[in-house]
Amino acid sequence: MKRSFAALCAGIFLAAAAAAGGVAGYTADAQKSRLEFAGVQAGAEFKGVFHKFTAAVEFAPDALASSHFEVQIDMNSVDSMDKDRDSTMRGPDVFDVAHAPTAHYVTKSFAKTAGGFSAVGALTLRGVTKDVPIDFQFSPGPAGATLAGSAKLKRLDFGVGRGDWKSTEWVEDAVKISFSLVLKPTT
Amino acid sequence: MPNQSSPNRYGAVAQGFHWLIAALIVTQFTLGWLADDLPLGAHKLALLARHKSFGMTVLMLAVLRLLWRLFNRPPQLPSGMSKNGMLLARATHIAFYVLLFAMPLTGWTMSSAKNYPVSWFGRFTWPNLISPNEHAFELLRSTHHLLSDALFAIAILHIFAALKHHFWNKDDVLVRMLPFTKSEKRS
Repeated sequence: MKRSFAALCAGIFLAAAAAAGGVAGYTADAQKSRLEFAGVQAGAEFKGVFHKFTAAVEFAPDALASSHFEVQIDMNSVDSMDKDRDSTMRGPDVFDVAHAPTAHYVTKSFAKTAGGFSAVGALTLRGVTKDVPIDFQFSPGPAGATLAGSAKLKRLDFGVGRGDWKSTEWVEDAVKISFSLVLKPTT
Repeated sequence: MPNQSSPNRYGAVAQGFHWLIAALIVTQFTLGWLADDLPLGAHKLALLARHKSFGMTVLMLAVLRLLWRLFNRPPQLPSGMSKNGMLLARATHIAFYVLLFAMPLTGWTMSSAKNYPVSWFGRFTWPNLISPNEHAFELLRSTHHLLSDALFAIAILHIFAALKHHFWNKDDVLVRMLPFTKSEKRS
């Protein structure tokens, strides 16, 4: 009797938790979503994009504890609008796509901020995993939602830049990431 | 030495522009040649960063120099010169002014086309003139090279003409552009 009461209590608790923490699941529309980076060479900022990436988003503004992002980036799809630079970036001194073809980002925690939300997640780039915080805004729409935000990271934290590219004299350590995802509900 | 040019001598400002830009052009050829054959690497970025900063300096100086020239008549050519000689001298000087603008402008546009925005000694970044475009880059690069060949040829002609005036015609065409000298009517 005691056991079944405890089980009942636990069941009610879990159901309540699930109701309070109901997150909606989305995936990024590959055609309409954009993942951009901005580096600085010789004092001037240049921008590029990753054309291929997937993002699985489980999010609700009132259920941050059970929200979760998981992003996979095809490092081969880097496009800085210069073929020479792209092949250098794919090469062993920068992204080393032969050994690390994908980058991963998995969130660990979320928080509400003045302008939207922030999250801390583990970024795995070139086989190195480090926490990278992101700031974003989430706007639900009739057919899903949009998720737009940015992050800052230091490329050398991940060993991105060896040999010639380890120096920060001509290519700065700091890299800006910005993303704008068009989310479709998962069915 | 007066700042303004007189009928038989270049003033300090005109001389300053002439020698400063001449020195920058020699630097530009050196940096351009050194960078041209290098593969993409820190060394090439370093050389080209300086090449671009100096090039934009030339462009700014060219604007000031043209304004100065428009409002300050240069010394007259020696009266003993032939009509063809005078024509050639004028054509050379006009070509120099055209190239003082065309060289940096094609270089700047070329950097824009390759998505390597131009910084001025890391102090500020010039806006891109066109959006990144590989085809446009190749076209602009050939133009930049062609114009540099023309500039080289005209500079050689200019130097030989100055020496010819000095040693053969024995007039003051060379001396009146030299600082720390006095122009005397030589003949």
